[in-house]
Amino acid sequence: MATIELDKVDKHYGAYHALRDISFDIADGEFVVLVGPSGCGKSTLLRTLAGLEDITGGTIRLGGQRVDNIAAKDRDVAMVFQNYALYPHMTVRENMAFALKLRGDTLPDRNAKVDKAAEMLRLTPYLDRYPKALSGGQRQRVAMGRAMVRSPKAFFFDEPLSNLDAALRVDMRSEIKALHQRLGATSVYVTHDQIEAMTMADRIVVLRDGKVEQIGAPLELYDRPANIFVAGFIGSPAMNKLSVKIDLKSNAARLADGSSFSLPPGTRARDGQDAIYGIRPDHWILSRGDQGAPATVELIEPTGAEILVAAQLAGQRVLCAFRERHALKAGDTIALAVDPATAHVFDKQTEQRISP
Amino acid sequence: MRRSNIGWLFLAPATLILFVVGFIPFLYILYVGFFDWNSNAVDPTLRWAGLQNYRNLVFDATFLNSLARTLVFAFIVVVSELLLGYVLARALMADRLWGRQFFRTIHTLPIVVAPIAVGATWRLLCVPGFGIIPYYLKLWFGIDYNISTNAYHAFGTAIVMDLWHWTPFVTLSLMAGLTALPKEPLEQAQIDGGNKLQIFWYVIVPMLKPVLLTTVFIRLMDALRSVDEVWMLTKGGPAEATRFIGLHIWINVFPKTDYGYGAAMSLLTLYVTIVLSWLLFVAMTGRKGGAQ
Repeated sequence: MATIELDKVDKHYGAYHALRDISFDIADGEFVVLVGPSGCGKSTLLRTLAGLEDITGGTIRLGGQRVDNIAAKDRDVAMVFQNYALYPHMTVRENMAFALKLRGDTLPDRNAKVDKAAEMLRLTPYLDRYPKALSGGQRQRVAMGRAMVRSPKAFFFDEPLSNLDAALRVDMRSEIKALHQRLGATSVYVTHDQIEAMTMADRIVVLRDGKVEQIGAPLELYDRPANIFVAGFIGSPAMNKLSVKIDLKSNAARLADGSSFSLPPGTRARDGQDAIYGIRPDHWILSRGDQGAPATVELIEPTGAEILVAAQLAGQRVLCAFRERHALKAGDTIALAVDPATAHVFDKQTEQRISP
Repeated sequence: MRRSNIGWLFLAPATLILFVVGFIPFLYILYVGFFDWNSNAVDPTLRWAGLQNYRNLVFDATFLNSLARTLVFAFIVVVSELLLGYVLARALMADRLWGRQFFRTIHTLPIVVAPIAVGATWRLLCVPGFGIIPYYLKLWFGIDYNISTNAYHAFGTAIVMDLWHWTPFVTLSLMAGLTALPKEPLEQAQIDGGNKLQIFWYVIVPMLKPVLLTTVFIRLMDALRSVDEVWMLTKGGPAEATRFIGLHIWINVFPKTDYGYGAAMSLLTLYVTIVLSWLLFVAMTGRKGGAQ
């Protein structure tokens, strides 16, 4: 097990700048998730950590030792690929033992380690099968077993669950998390799925266009997104982002139709500043009486646990999630209020957070 | 029912052609092989000979030597072409290679040249007292190279000519195979700690096996029936140094018009080829017969 330190990592593909000045540290045994939309550089970053891609600038340290100048085979890390990357011509046992064979472990040693990992992953009945005779979930477990038997310095996962169906994905998600708790291995996990990121990570690194947007614990990112991008990316359904003007005299964010919401205490804003007022769908309060901004209900989607209501508020579409079973129908006028403590305010220009 | 009838209908032209040009001649050869038949003989008709042709073959030193020579030739060229072809394929796939497209194009040109023209060209290059190869070998290395008198020179030249003609085919086929390999297992092998040689041996070769097998079979069968190129180069000589089996059969059947004996030779050669291919298949796949 080892720490990972990235310092000013840069990567160019010709003129394309894939990774920009990325610096952060990963503690020993930590589970870090790299998340971001397609093309944000998260897979590239993971591949540079594994040694499958060179970097053009900066340094990477693994367990204190500089590794950006050494080959993948000498880094002693394990990787699980999206399409499993099993060797098609080897049985499950041979697949899992291959790295051990290459580094010269004896056969009894190899078998003991493979048997142990196979038992942990419930793969024992399949050890003599070839990958083509396994289901997607089983292949995924073989890929993980192959990583486990080596007890490497770090585990890297490149969207390992993307090829599985929804139900299996949820199972495997908790399985990977349980394994991590059991093995305590330093892990870096790449996904575009923010739910996976939220549920699995000790810390999340949000990337966009090769830059780090925010690093933090899942709930930290959810509760205090540093900018509009993170606010929109983390959380499902996504945060409502209302265009407002700051009115410091009444300490309010004013909508186009004149209705307003109070600013969270401590917001650093100028009078008349253009801002984005962010409210998570489940933070809306359906207000009785004349408090709150008037909105027109457009669409109602009951999911069982809650009711999703899409409404028009001062010419902007908002989504509300209510746990109470309000009797609403399309066309109703409702009044929406907000507890300012749960709201997020961002500068429209810089997109950075200005509420505390 | 109608569906399967339509299927047969679509297959019919191919089946018919195969039957006419493949199966009927085979039966005919089988038939002729039991007769003594030479159109230049005193009695030019078919005379029943039973298994006499085959009996003679087993004691025919010229035939057996020719067969052995062909096997040695085929073994050398197929192995060399595989090794050379792999190296070339990797070189032509390298990102760093300047003018890659240009080299890729020109390296395939020998494939499109007709064997007879290849033989003629090499004859011109090698003919004693005229070709540039003997001239420069003498000038630079002091070697008296003469394919008309030296059996080793003739045999060696036949091999080099085959390499020149057919290595590009192996390169092309391996390049296609290598390009189609999934990238991830190769990356996984790097992460698993494999060095280049280990990755080649444990991952690339097994994954490339179907392509290797196909390529080896095509090249082996071609090499076993090499006729026109060698005929142009040496006419099978000096003495019988380059008289490969195809050439030997041709000489017996056409100039000598010994049809019955030639037919028997063809069948025996076919038999040897089949057994050889089967052994090779078993060796390369670990399967016993019953090809899948």
